[in-house]
Amino acid sequence: MIGRRIAVTGMGVVTPLGNSLAELSANLGAGKSAVRRLAPSLAARLRSPIGAPVDFDATPRFDPPRLRMLDRVSQLALEAAGQAVSHSGIDFRAEDLERCGVFVGSGMGGASTTDEGYQALYAEGSDRIKPYTVLAAMTSAAASWIGIDHGITGPNITFSTACSSSAVAIGEAALRIAGGAADVMIAGGAEAPLTYGVLRAWEAMRTLATENSADPSASCRPFSLNRSGLVLGEGAAFTILEDWNHALARGATIHGELSGYGLTCDAAHITRPTVMGQAGAMRAALRSAGLHPRSIGYINAHGTATVQNDATETEAIKTVFGEDAYRVPISSTKSMHGHLLGAAGALEFIITVLSLREHLVPPTLHLDVPDPACDLDYVAAGPRRVAPFRAAMSNSFAFGGTNAVLIAEGRPT
Amino acid sequence: MSTLSALQEILVKEYAIPLERLMPDALLSSLGVDSLGMLELMFKIEDRFNLKIPGDPPTDLATVADVVAYVDSLITGEPGRREP
Repeated sequence: MIGRRIAVTGMGVVTPLGNSLAELSANLGAGKSAVRRLAPSLAARLRSPIGAPVDFDATPRFDPPRLRMLDRVSQLALEAAGQAVSHSGIDFRAEDLERCGVFVGSGMGGASTTDEGYQALYAEGSDRIKPYTVLAAMTSAAASWIGIDHGITGPNITFSTACSSSAVAIGEAALRIAGGAADVMIAGGAEAPLTYGVLRAWEAMRTLATENSADPSASCRPFSLNRSGLVLGEGAAFTILEDWNHALARGATIHGELSGYGLTCDAAHITRPTVMGQAGAMRAALRSAGLHPRSIGYINAHGTATVQNDATETEAIKTVFGEDAYRVPISSTKSMHGHLLGAAGALEFIITVLSLREHLVPPTLHLDVPDPACDLDYVAAGPRRVAPFRAAMSNSFAFGGTNAVLIAEGRPT
Repeated sequence: MSTLSALQEILVKEYAIPLERLMPDALLSSLGVDSLGMLELMFKIEDRFNLKIPGDPPTDLATVADVVAYVDSLITGEPGRREP
């Protein structure tokens, strides 16, 4: 990245695979799937009754007056961002707060609030809608609350580019620091799409996986010949990004470096991805990191388990990596945590940093029957212990065509 | 049950405000019930007292006693008498 180096000094997660870094890491290392049959009230009315929910009770976490104003997406975001801040050990009282910012990615914002409002108006025929509906549902609410929580008065922006939203938020936050406009950024994403209205809308697109009746947890099968679509998940993931010297000066622990960010748009079709667009983003990220594909020791794929994505992504990786494409371990952790939409990029970037730190590549679960069109090393057998490697790539693509690729490098020793 | 006890019950149950803080002269804004919270409270009052509040409530309802007087005026159909 041109300009100042970016240190990752904090990470926080609320995910289907656990509500702390330690839990997430343990479940990834154990190759555990959090995909399951949804609660009976939802499942009964769905053709695809599966999802990857988060086990998080907001009641003890927030005062009742505030809780009334928070959609689930903001609750998850505040918890994950709070964890990231604690993890980084930063004391914002000692910072120039206008040089700190909050960048958040979210596809749908307060979806359950919107759903509840429509339920009251249309289904129940009520003329009453909660006075907090606008404040809770607006897509930018989570970012605003994080800013309020930590008193951060610099740039506060919400990025909404569908499934690449939080990768874009992290990449753009890094650019702010690299260019010298900011010193510390809270960057990540949140999504809470497990409501009846949202699930049905996704179902109507024919993009959701069919339930594996023998084992619902095995319903999401990226790169597999018998894949049937994506599984929606909820959660939030946040990083603290920091100017390298700023991090050193305050004695922070540096967990990794964000060294590359590539961004392209397919500008072709609203859902169908292009090899050129995806490959372009990977190339741009490598260029920005100043790395040859040979230096990449792991790719966390977008890997949605849709027919379109997985074959296109495979082709795009081959286009960029050439012969190296067959050498680099690649996995789709969506087989375990589902598709967190606007939060997916941030969660997968954190997983990428963890894999660099622990030299452990998480697997692509349920890949028993590889699709011949997806013939790369998709780490099917289970988590793989590898030799220390220099850099790792995290791919995030999206409906609408905004492709964002992030590159992390290991902590210098 | 008096209007005051019924209102206190709503505020304890739905807003998690401790009963001992719900004295008649307590300011609702200081208990975490802001202007939008007040509008929301009116929905709960409509349900609890089986009332229909015409339009928006008066903007000068500040204390627990103010709300009690307003609810009583809706029940009796007479303009509420407020404590000075």
